Amino acid sequence: MSSGEGGNGDDGETESGGSGGSSDADRGRGGDWRDRGRQTLDWLVNASAAQRMAISLAALVFAVIVGGILVFVSGFVATCRQPVLYIPLLGESCYNPAQVYWTMLEGAFGSTANLARTLQETTLLLFTGLSVAVAFRAGLFNVGTQGQMVLGALATGLALVPLGSVLPDSIIGMLVAIPLGLVVGAIVGGFWGFIPGAMKAYADANEVITTIMLNFVATGLAFYLVSEHLGDPGTGSVQTVPVPSVARLPPTIDGSRFSVIALVGALLVAVAIYLLYDRTVLGYELRTSGLQESAAEYSGVDAKRNVVTSMSLSGALGGIAGAVYVMMVHYRWQTGMPALGFDGIAVSVLAGNNPIGVVPAALLFGGLKSGSFAVDFALGVPGELVVVLRGLIILFVAMPEFFRMLGKYYDFGSDPEPVATDGGERR
Amino acid sequence: MSDADVLPRFVRDHRRALTLVVLLLAALTIVVTVVPGGRQTVTDVSGVITASYLASAFRLTVPIAFAAIGGIFSEKAGVINIGLEGLLIIGAFTAIVTLHFLPETTAIWVIWSAFGIAVIASAFVALLFAIVCIEFKADQVIAGLAVWLIALGLAPFASIIVWENVNSPSFVTFSTVSIPILSDLPSIGRLFVATPPVFMLIVAVPLAWYVLNRTTFGKWIEASGEDPKTLDTAGVSVRKVRYAGVVLSGVFCGIGGAGLALNVGQFVGSGETMVDGRGWIGLTAYLIGNYNPVGAFLASFLFAGLDALQIQLQQIAGYDVSSTLIGIIPYVAVVVVLAFIGRTRMPSSAGEHYESDE
Repeated sequence: MSSGEGGNGDDGETESGGSGGSSDADRGRGGDWRDRGRQTLDWLVNASAAQRMAISLAALVFAVIVGGILVFVSGFVATCRQPVLYIPLLGESCYNPAQVYWTMLEGAFGSTANLARTLQETTLLLFTGLSVAVAFRAGLFNVGTQGQMVLGALATGLALVPLGSVLPDSIIGMLVAIPLGLVVGAIVGGFWGFIPGAMKAYADANEVITTIMLNFVATGLAFYLVSEHLGDPGTGSVQTVPVPSVARLPPTIDGSRFSVIALVGALLVAVAIYLLYDRTVLGYELRTSGLQESAAEYSGVDAKRNVVTSMSLSGALGGIAGAVYVMMVHYRWQTGMPALGFDGIAVSVLAGNNPIGVVPAALLFGGLKSGSFAVDFALGVPGELVVVLRGLIILFVAMPEFFRMLGKYYDFGSDPEPVATDGGERR
Repeated sequence: MSDADVLPRFVRDHRRALTLVVLLLAALTIVVTVVPGGRQTVTDVSGVITASYLASAFRLTVPIAFAAIGGIFSEKAGVINIGLEGLLIIGAFTAIVTLHFLPETTAIWVIWSAFGIAVIASAFVALLFAIVCIEFKADQVIAGLAVWLIALGLAPFASIIVWENVNSPSFVTFSTVSIPILSDLPSIGRLFVATPPVFMLIVAVPLAWYVLNRTTFGKWIEASGEDPKTLDTAGVSVRKVRYAGVVLSGVFCGIGGAGLALNVGQFVGSGETMVDGRGWIGLTAYLIGNYNPVGAFLASFLFAGLDALQIQLQQIAGYDVSSTLIGIIPYVAVVVVLAFIGRTRMPSSAGEHYESDE
């Protein structure tokens, strides 16, 4: 925090409101959440790739350990027919954490069917993870990928239904239907990202709050539209009419709903985003606009428009995740979509917000989610375990200082350059 | 200071609240004058607003307003706590799970033990959050989000472990308390018959205002968020004040969450759990109320009142109001208010780590 203007910037606020955003960074207002984002980005940028990977791995290990303890303790409370552990004085436990994680691994990669399920999750997580990462790279925290995905999925699900009677049920028809579905999802998701982006850029509304609110609005709006107006009248549940077969991505592995086309597409998008952000002028401008608005404006960049662009791009990726969900997994929109948008946050922070890093992070998280089905089915450990793990991973990645202190305490190697988690330390 | 200075200042300090009021009045005017049948609707709707409606609105205000007050203490002290929703979930779940392990009687100590343990649990989680933010210098926004996401997984997980279902069976609920004499008043008497959490809220709002504005501790909280350096120089530990602020937010959220669950006597863990976004509404309530407990309470009451209105309207024949649509009004209102006002005036050092020089 630069203390140039003194603590009580009450009146500075009104004055700077008129002079436009260029003076933004000069104002001594460390409390702004945008600075928070910048500080986060600071350590992500300042930390070397190796440090970032070490933090992610350590976060993962700690999340797994805490999750294991949770499972172990729950085992004493749960009721089951065959306790697996007996500890004198404590009693019998239903769950053995090592067995739980082993089952999870087997459930994720143990058979072709399991692998297909894992890759299906991975594909969707690639899109939501990239959605969050794109915003993060520009210093914006998009918590709204979930809502962008829900509305994107709904739009795709509705737009594709009439195509069944128009397009030939062949590869040609598919070449029209599937790109169209993606575009519709991207536009609607992008619009839902555009709103908080424009509010951030032109009204200075904090994007964390607006995106969370818009998640609730999106879920409620979709539920209302489908249950009252656009739903499948043939069923009692809140869902749309299924999309025609011409708009369904063909499964690559028999009996599964995983299409390698979607996975390859997702990987290409990851590479494209990496190139966009690290190799092009536009990418550079997008990054600096979110991180250092004033610096960007000095060099003649329209920082506000770029903030809107970043959020719209992020939303479009969330919308595409929804479109792929409809065309590859569920073949219709139904209420209660999985929380892939929030998983995307975990994927992105685990990847250090690097588009290429999102690939292994999505695979890992896809494995966790897929494996949790097996754990639930075979051992009776609630699948919600993976939701807890998701939160723990996000928590541990957010506290690199913890691992640094731990490393210092055990005297691991030389103390690395202090990572600036705090703007105040940089000066 | 002349009156001319006072008025703009009042307007400036309450921009968000005033915008909201203006927008609501504008919407009402449009409904009455433009929308066909709007006048009739407004008449019908206002007919629903009775003492019993207000009583149910007060009951629904409990979790939102307590979360909001908690958020004020934490953020004023300099730690942005967006995990309020998670703390409410912890409070609600702990209250019910405690009832599960206590004997099944309606004895008064049972429900109050559940209440107390829920508050302790929520305060404990808030303490962990404070350690993560203050000692380990975690990013407060991401860590707060993690608190919510962990609670969102942990409560249903534990529900399945304990009850083999994400929803708990039914347990005892708080019985209502009547205030003597006042509750016998005609027509408004129903307002004075309520469950204990409602009365606690009525006490907590002015108390929180008093503590923040009229006590030394309140001054410390304020300084810890606005100007930690000066507080430090004055010999008060910024760390301790921040810990106190965050733990207090846990206490308030514990009361709110336990109040919510013990009014129903059940924990619902499906979907977004029974808390269902009330913590987020609480967060926005104190932003609209400009970090003032009274303003935050009024905003919470407004949002809870909408919720209660929707429940009442469902009971009138001829009104086919979608409860989902009314349910998203608070969120839309917040987005609209933020679009008009944008920047929230946060404590200037909120979100920053403070290093003492000693």
